[in-house]
Amino acid sequence: MSDEAGGSKRWQAILGDVRWLSLLSVLSVLVAWYLVTAFALVPAVLLPGPAEVFATFLDILRNGYRETTLWENSAATLWRCGAGFVLALLTGVPLGLAMGQSPLIRAACDYIIQFMRPLPPLSYLILLILWLGTGDTSKIALLYLTAFPIVAASAMAGVRATKQQRVQAARALGATEWQIFRHVIFPSALPLIFTGARIALAAAFSTVVAAELMAATDGLGWMVFSASRFLRNDVIIVGIIVLGVLGMLLNRLVLLLDGAVIHWRGVE
Amino acid sequence: MSPAALWRRLGDRRATVASLLVLIALWLLLTQLDLVDDLFLPGPALLWDGFTDLVENGYRNRTIWEHAGLSLERVLAGFGTGAVAGTLLGLGMGYNRKVEAIFSPLVEFFRPLPQLAYLVLLIVWFGIDETPQIILLFLTALPVSAIAAMDGVKSVSLQRVQAARALGASEWQVFCHVIFPSALHEIFTGARLAIGVVYATLIAAEIIAGSTGLGWMILDAGRFLRSDYVFVGIIVIGLMGLLLDRLLLAVEHRVVHWAGKD
Repeated sequence: MSDEAGGSKRWQAILGDVRWLSLLSVLSVLVAWYLVTAFALVPAVLLPGPAEVFATFLDILRNGYRETTLWENSAATLWRCGAGFVLALLTGVPLGLAMGQSPLIRAACDYIIQFMRPLPPLSYLILLILWLGTGDTSKIALLYLTAFPIVAASAMAGVRATKQQRVQAARALGATEWQIFRHVIFPSALPLIFTGARIALAAAFSTVVAAELMAATDGLGWMVFSASRFLRNDVIIVGIIVLGVLGMLLNRLVLLLDGAVIHWRGVE
Repeated sequence: MSPAALWRRLGDRRATVASLLVLIALWLLLTQLDLVDDLFLPGPALLWDGFTDLVENGYRNRTIWEHAGLSLERVLAGFGTGAVAGTLLGLGMGYNRKVEAIFSPLVEFFRPLPQLAYLVLLIVWFGIDETPQIILLFLTALPVSAIAAMDGVKSVSLQRVQAARALGASEWQVFCHVIFPSALHEIFTGARLAIGVVYATLIAAEIIAGSTGLGWMILDAGRFLRSDYVFVGIIVIGLMGLLLDRLLLAVEHRVVHWAGKD
């Protein structure tokens, strides 16, 4: 009796754990996908089955798609995205910090950033191609310009969100301006800088794929675009899944760094 | 008021004026002295001619306003449906942990996924007319709005909910009169984020697979090296994006007049 009750309670605890529902939801999508293709409800050209997509995944991992392997394409995409993003961090954070500190610099630069921020990046890709050619330079410049205003605006907001009491307390204790900046303002701004970096990286990742769709000879965006011309929907689906997973990983990576660096976030 | 007094009154905005003047001077210098080719950077006269030409004669049978109207229609159709569906989903996800558990893997997967990646699949499935573009924008707006609404519901202060409950409010009343109004501010923040992403995605979609709209117009003009049209197009695209954002902000201020007064 007591055993039975304990057993059912344990089952209730297991079933009550909502993580099972997440697993169930992912599984049901996969099962629905399988059933739709197994019963040929849609033509296999339009929607290949899960097994076929997995076989394609292994194939382009080993043999590649049109002479470039999945690794090479992923590396090309990540390289462009990473180069533009890092350049934006190296220049955008200092500018944003300076804009937060000095009203004059803010007044001189803020309107440019405010205009660039809502501007869809692909619209000026055409100009960049005209100016810099179709190679990697124009793409890295595009991703730089995508990430830069986001990073700069968040660094500026971070500085301006610093509590005045802290600055005054440090000053009262005899800190120099540089010490105040280094030990009070910068650490206070860092959480917002990281949030901005996360948004900027996501935007750059979306944009790099769009740019590769438009003009590239390698990269995941190129692979997906080229596959669509040959009606290789299996390759397209592999590309989408790889991109989704990479996007999630990039986001996690910044969150992980955030957690490791800013141990003071939310501990006020 | 004398110019000197006006200049003093500008305060820090003097730096804005000065930097703007430097940029304009640089532009004039580069273009008027023929230091760069008109092809790379058209001068003011050329730009103005391009603009009036686009307004009067249009580009490929449509004036620039008609192209802008088509783009705007797509943005509003995709954003409208996606934001409403996403908000409803997000409210459910914030309110009920089971709903959250069921839908969060899908939302988490779709949110960081570059939107243009599935555009090609949508085109293969639905052909190259309006349908794949609207579906793309719907799928773009949905996860952004859903996450914002979910966060909004989760950050509602528990005291308010308990107070309403203690006063005898039904679950439905708590939801309508306490949770939803409290979450509205974040819902609007999410909507502004979503319309920005939707707009950027639409321009990219028009560039990659369009035959009308502002994005297509600048791509086509770029192919024929009409950089004056490209510049005018980019400026119009930028202003329209700014306008959409400001419009939502104005609506937010009217609807959520209690924001920041907690």
